[in-house]
Amino acid sequence: MTIPPKYITSFGLSLALVNLFNAALVVLKETDEGVLAGMKAATGHHWVTHGLVLLALFVALGWLLTYLKPARRAGEPSGVAVAVLVSTVLGDMVIAGYFLVAGWLGAAA
Amino acid sequence: MPPEISLMLHPTFGMLAVLAAVWVFVEVLNAREGSLRRIRLASLGVAALLWLAYVSGGYWYVVHYAADKAVIKAGPWPFAHGFFMEAKEHLFFSLLLLGTYLPMAASDSRLPGDQGVRRLLLTVALLVVLLGLAMEGMGAVISLGVREGLMAR
Repeated sequence: MTIPPKYITSFGLSLALVNLFNAALVVLKETDEGVLAGMKAATGHHWVTHGLVLLALFVALGWLLTYLKPARRAGEPSGVAVAVLVSTVLGDMVIAGYFLVAGWLGAAA
Repeated sequence: MPPEISLMLHPTFGMLAVLAAVWVFVEVLNAREGSLRRIRLASLGVAALLWLAYVSGGYWYVVHYAADKAVIKAGPWPFAHGFFMEAKEHLFFSLLLLGTYLPMAASDSRLPGDQGVRRLLLTVALLVVLLGLAMEGMGAVISLGVREGLMAR
């Protein structure tokens, strides 16, 4: 079975965007107790809610982006590869960096 | 399910997913018509194994981790939770989404000739390998954090 290229592009770009959103949501819930409490209340555990939000966003954005005309290289597989690589490295560095700094500040306090 | 079983299944599925991603990477390097079926099969394997790792690890984390967390935080290696567990539980989502996307990218009708699609597959497979190995290492530190905490009692 093969998948039309437009879905490879849209879900690749969705993956890149969700990687960045993941990092933003981590920082937001760790710095805002209201957000964390809301995420806990939604499913009983903030991590379960976090995962469900990301998966829903990945599917929704992947679907919606098929209706957009991609600009220049973003629509080509190489452009999607760069977007996925940069967003994964950047998003994961923000997450690791946040907990590194938070842990260091916690230890110093 | 006994907690020890889900705890052992999690890194087992994770490491098998890493091996499957290495398989995808090598197949894509030498991609031709004859290797498409293997690429797509191995990519599906990566996705399935990562979802199994997610479910088994997630079950253990949500249901059983609180006791271990208390031991780690009271022990000499509190960073095993403060940094390694906190980072691992959120970095895993990147890995899960990459693994979920891999079989989609492998189903691209432009394979095996299109260099761009091959580059995309190589990128995603490599990220799965690197993040998967990082997860294994972080899991080892978390386990040591529990052991150090128990030994200090």
